[in-house]
Amino acid sequence: MASLLNQIGAVTALNVRSIPQRAWMSIASIVAVALTIAVLLFFLALAQGLTRTVEGSGSDDVAMVIRSGSNAELNSVVSRDQLTILSSGPGVMQRASRPLASGELLVIVDGLKRSTNTKANMPFRGIGAEGLALRRGVTITQGRMFSPGSNEIVVGAGLIREFAGFGFGETVRIRGSDWKIVGVFEAPGTVFESELWADVAVTQSLFNRPNAYQTMRVQLASPEAVAPFKTWADADPRLQGLEILSERAYYARQASQSNQFIVIAWVLGILMAIGALAGAVNTMYSSVATRSAEIATLRIIGFSGWAAFFGTMVEALALSMMGGILGILIAFVAFNGRTTSTLGSGFTQLVFKFDLSPPIVITAIVMAMVIGFVGGFFPGIRAARQRPQLELAAQ
Amino acid sequence: MTDLFRLTDVEKSYTRGKEKISIFDKLTMRIEEGDFVAIMGPSGSGKTTLLNLLGGTDKANKGEIEFDGKRIDNLSEGQLTAWRAANVGFIFQFYNLMPILTAAQNVELPLLLTKLSPKKRRDNVATALKIVGLEDRAKHRPREMSGGQQQRIAIARAIVSDPKLLLCDEPTGDLDRTTADEILGTLQVLNRDLGKTIIMVTHDAQAAKYAKRTLHLDKGHFVESELAA
Amino acid sequence: MNDRALMWKNLWRKPVRTILLVVSIMIAFLIFSGIISFNIAISTFNTLPTRMVTLSKVNFTQTLPIAHYERIAAMEGVAAATHMNWFGGYFQDQQSGFLPVFAVDPETYFQVYSEDLQIPAEQREAFFKDRASMLVAEPVAERYGWRIGQRIPLQSNIFTNRNSGNSTWEFTLAGTIPTPQGSSQSGSVLIHYDYYNETVTFGRDRIGWVPFLTKSADLNDQVAAAIDGRFLNSQDETSTQDEETFNKSFTAQLGNIALVVSLVVGAAFIAILLIVGTTMALAVRERTKEIGVMKTLGFSSERVLRMVLGESMLLSFLGAVLGCGAAAGLLSLASGGGGPPIYFAPIVLVYAAIIALLLGLVTGLGPALAAYRLSIIDALGRR
Repeated sequence: MASLLNQIGAVTALNVRSIPQRAWMSIASIVAVALTIAVLLFFLALAQGLTRTVEGSGSDDVAMVIRSGSNAELNSVVSRDQLTILSSGPGVMQRASRPLASGELLVIVDGLKRSTNTKANMPFRGIGAEGLALRRGVTITQGRMFSPGSNEIVVGAGLIREFAGFGFGETVRIRGSDWKIVGVFEAPGTVFESELWADVAVTQSLFNRPNAYQTMRVQLASPEAVAPFKTWADADPRLQGLEILSERAYYARQASQSNQFIVIAWVLGILMAIGALAGAVNTMYSSVATRSAEIATLRIIGFSGWAAFFGTMVEALALSMMGGILGILIAFVAFNGRTTSTLGSGFTQLVFKFDLSPPIVITAIVMAMVIGFVGGFFPGIRAARQRPQLELAAQ
Repeated sequence: MTDLFRLTDVEKSYTRGKEKISIFDKLTMRIEEGDFVAIMGPSGSGKTTLLNLLGGTDKANKGEIEFDGKRIDNLSEGQLTAWRAANVGFIFQFYNLMPILTAAQNVELPLLLTKLSPKKRRDNVATALKIVGLEDRAKHRPREMSGGQQQRIAIARAIVSDPKLLLCDEPTGDLDRTTADEILGTLQVLNRDLGKTIIMVTHDAQAAKYAKRTLHLDKGHFVESELAA
Repeated sequence: MNDRALMWKNLWRKPVRTILLVVSIMIAFLIFSGIISFNIAISTFNTLPTRMVTLSKVNFTQTLPIAHYERIAAMEGVAAATHMNWFGGYFQDQQSGFLPVFAVDPETYFQVYSEDLQIPAEQREAFFKDRASMLVAEPVAERYGWRIGQRIPLQSNIFTNRNSGNSTWEFTLAGTIPTPQGSSQSGSVLIHYDYYNETVTFGRDRIGWVPFLTKSADLNDQVAAAIDGRFLNSQDETSTQDEETFNKSFTAQLGNIALVVSLVVGAAFIAILLIVGTTMALAVRERTKEIGVMKTLGFSSERVLRMVLGESMLLSFLGAVLGCGAAAGLLSLASGGGGPPIYFAPIVLVYAAIIALLLGLVTGLGPALAAYRLSIIDALGRR
């Protein structure tokens, strides 16, 4: 075994020394692998960023109430009466002897996307007095919270970064009324950072939707309190047609949108990998061809075919790994952590960051290894089959 | 007999690094039409350079080279190429057939440079293969043939466009004696029956015997002066 | 045999290598033509220069009062106007059965979108006459196997039917609309606004948006300013745009697709450019001696250059043709399933031809020039 390792080492050293003879081909296959990996990572990081942001938005101990079968808040309805009943449910937390619950109404207003200068759908959320308290991790970083009953808006920091029209201190005119942006809030890694918040009562009246709510959030004592709360609500005929689930579960359901990016990532990634593979196989065949005399000589001396096979394999893996690492570097420099936005499942813009998490990076490395392995396999077999011919060695 | 080649005061030198290597200094010679000349000499005597100059694959630094009464030393690269296509057939030591083409296609190659009709081309190829006695190998590829057969295909390729001149560079250098004798016999027939002028560079004194005369080259000069003009 | 045959034979000298190259070029063109077709499908719509649309200034999901429509229709410079409502429709399953159902005013709708509504007169009349009927884009009817005259239950994820007390409406299929690529009616289901308006439990007398035709495209800006000015400072301010601008901003909501497309296509082509370029260079280097022989035989340098360049062109076009063919095949397979069909865009062939030409040139030029410059003496090692 040790002797085979030595042999492989010797053959690999020969391979490496002959790389300059096909420097351009080697560079070409490294770059091809790198670009493949970069494209794969682009869409995976996009999907990951989207998933994390959506999934990271929900709490386990907040119950979310929507109309059964509504796939988006926009077409959900919860009445004022239902809201009142739900606020008195079991396990609902209180603050200053008022239930920690928020009936909410989401409408869509136009903002201007900075990068393309085109109109885009902004989520304008009317929240109850306890809406802010219900969302942990949200902090007002500039200005102040809107005052109840006034035409005031607070805006998410992510929205401000990506969209124009709702800057701090600005006044915007919506449906014949002036609204003042009085604060900016941060809610890192959640969908809320791409929202506008205002008082729900004012929103209802100005958008001509009196007493209409779409969703309701209820702060419960603990994550375990969600199930009893749901059981209680299901038993009440006045609450028929409502679905209750934890806020986390609700957002986990919304996150399935990113699956389409994962599909795109793998379709493009695999297609490009086949292309890059062609480069790797050609490079390795050419490597074996230029070294056929050397390999023949080694075989005469007594090196085994395995050594020739593994020597070729090691070279192929080294090239594809270099490509993989280059691709990962490109991804880190070019887009990791960059902010982008797309139309989310709620039909409104969702701001999120490309997220190159360790599992994704490992996926990329595995992909590069697979390209190297397949790319080295058949040329490796050809190298192993090189017969110890004297006439070749003599050249 | 008229002169096919007339070389006057030909000079040829190379620079290798900073060193200038003179191959020919005022070389003068003539070769008559219908001649079969063997050129012998040690390595570095200028045999191959002479063949290159005669075949128009290299240019002299000075002096005149006349072929069939017309100067070729002042032709441009492109004109020389066309001249070669029309007048010279080449036979190399290692045959230099195209591995991807069949025997017949290899023979046909020079005819791509002519305006002959496909039918005429096929006839010419068949004739050339017949002359070298390999009609039955038309569809074979070079690696399916022996060295001697490959060289006969190369000869067929050299004569297919009916040039006046055949230039042979060690045509039997890679062949065994019996095969070499067959090849040289074929060349002799081409010279005698078809009137081809043949200039053959060789190391092999046995081979040289097939020629009408032998020139010995040493350090850029012909040793037997009576053979040079 | 001729030069082309010789190029072809040279190309296939090492079949494994050539197949690998053809596959990699094919894949680049497959990615290219697939992505471009997709991009064209989502961003190209038949538009009329005189067709405009008035929406709520707040956002197109906000409704407008029906009175807006009547005022717009009476504006100077407006040739014909209609109105549309988003019904939030689906068939059986909310996710997979999603349908863009619009409540429209049939007769004016046919005026504004006449060019995309070329259907048999009896189907049109049947639709006009029966308030509870619908028109459906052909692919939708095919997907669900709906026949003309059949009653189809559609559901809304927004509205409730006053008559049934639930979210289901039944419509009689009056006809189908052929929807070639770019048709403004792609995937659409059209129902009667009057019927919808009478049966919904809320949101009555509101409309989604107002598409209209101007008398001349020169009047567009003037008409838009007049409409938006008319409703300025009202509860329902408007924003009037030409159809194309509206469509473009809608697509732009998904993200900067053009940028992503160019990055991915760019990456794919740079990768194969390098692979093909270096492999061609190697292939020609390996053939140095043969090129020397050809030149000796009397093939001119120009001819040798043309042959090497021709070979790389052949390779490039072979890959391009296969790649575009594969994309066309896959797209037509994919369009058999759900979702709006993505057609192979013929313009892709023009781009593909240009790219193939450039690819062939760039990858072949270096080796071809090397072959052109190659001296016989160096090639054959005769000195």
